[in-house]
Amino acid sequence: MDANDLETINASLDFDSDLREKIRDQVTVFDKKTRTMVGLFNKIHSTPSDEIPKLLDTVRPVLSSCAVITAGFAEIIPQDQFWRWKDMWSNSLRTAVFAATLLQYLTDGTLMPLSTVSSNLGIQEEWAGRFVLPAEDYLHGLISLVNELSRLAVNAVTLGNFQEPIKISLFVKEIFAGFAQLNLKNDTLRRRYDSLKYDIKKIEEVVYDVSLRKLAAPNQPTHP
Amino acid sequence: MISISSAFNAFREELDVHHDRRERLIKASRDITNLSKKTIFLLHRLALESLADADDGRRTSAAAKGYANLCEVQSLYASLRNELAGDRFWRYHQQVSPGLQEYIEALSFTHFLEHRSLIPFETVQRSLSDADRVPYLPLTTSDYLLGLSDLTGELMRLAISGIAQRGGRKQAMEICTFVRNCKADFEGFTPHVRELSKKQAVTSSSLEKIEDAAYAIVLRGSEYDLPPEMLDDIVASTIAQKRHDFGLDHGEEIAV
Repeated sequence: MDANDLETINASLDFDSDLREKIRDQVTVFDKKTRTMVGLFNKIHSTPSDEIPKLLDTVRPVLSSCAVITAGFAEIIPQDQFWRWKDMWSNSLRTAVFAATLLQYLTDGTLMPLSTVSSNLGIQEEWAGRFVLPAEDYLHGLISLVNELSRLAVNAVTLGNFQEPIKISLFVKEIFAGFAQLNLKNDTLRRRYDSLKYDIKKIEEVVYDVSLRKLAAPNQPTHP
Repeated sequence: MISISSAFNAFREELDVHHDRRERLIKASRDITNLSKKTIFLLHRLALESLADADDGRRTSAAAKGYANLCEVQSLYASLRNELAGDRFWRYHQQVSPGLQEYIEALSFTHFLEHRSLIPFETVQRSLSDADRVPYLPLTTSDYLLGLSDLTGELMRLAISGIAQRGGRKQAMEICTFVRNCKADFEGFTPHVRELSKKQAVTSSSLEKIEDAAYAIVLRGSEYDLPPEMLDDIVASTIAQKRHDFGLDHGEEIAV
């Protein structure tokens, strides 16, 4: 191999491994933040509904601090190389989506759209090609949201909140119907989607138990 | 707020476009692999035929046929240009990479037959660019190295299959040195490029086969105090004599 090529190849390989190192550092910080949020959210299962807003206020600053991380990614990722490196952070990003959408659900019972999650994480449009929130990662986050809500349906009843399971059921069914509109390939998203039906079933059982015993108030909140 | 249903409709469209493009690229990559493999077989045939020629004329013409064949691959890449534009190249790199490596293997083999040297990175990138030197896709270091790594296997085949012919022994010795240098050059890259270490193991075993052949050449050559060309002549004339004895020198007539 000629000396010139040897040099440029070595330079390019060194550049890539430096970059990988930098990304890894960012991911570690990102991961810490998402873990903190998941940790805080764990308390929703034991927090009475009137104290939930206070709990959510502790999550908000952590979520908005993720903007520093995404800005860091956008700065170091070379133009058009987003997909080359995204596997390194997609787990953390999915968890961040989960946290943002759960926060929104617990705040006003609605689904936070992708664009809002994206802006909550500080992702800017001009970063296209360097850092974006792909639909796939958003959808993964939503599946985690459903997983979590099926747990919440059970635990809300334990805490004496009999309305929550019905609210969750309506919300989750809508998401499930959304997923049914997609043509999924045989990938992880498909497998996780397939597992959603067990969450739905679990929530339905809770709704059934609650309704049968007439525990839920008759004026059920109708879905928007 | 947009409804959940319409949001998912948009996702469906987005995912469908993505999956369809992915499928198209997988198919194209397979076609490219096929064409490249065929070119490699063609080059082996041509290289074997032209081995005995003292001048480089036929060898160059073998290379010319290789380049001509690979034009088809290049035009395929030209047609994929839009599919791989911007951030799409890296999104679909996994799908594109196998074909690209096979193409680089074929191109570097052609280049070797013409120049007896390793094809430079720039030359590969230029072959995948339009007349204004705008690349159809960005060539990556890893694809380049992995493609070249496969070349050593082809060279081993070339060295061994040509060994019984006039000029084949000299060629085998040349290739032996060349592959040894390749292996040494690549060794430094293995920590950086995944898959390369696996390919280095294949290169090592190819090299060993060539080395064993080179060993036999030297050993046998030493038993006769004659220049290698003369040995070639003795072997060639013996074969010709036998061919005549067996009435095989008019092969096509016998076949009738």
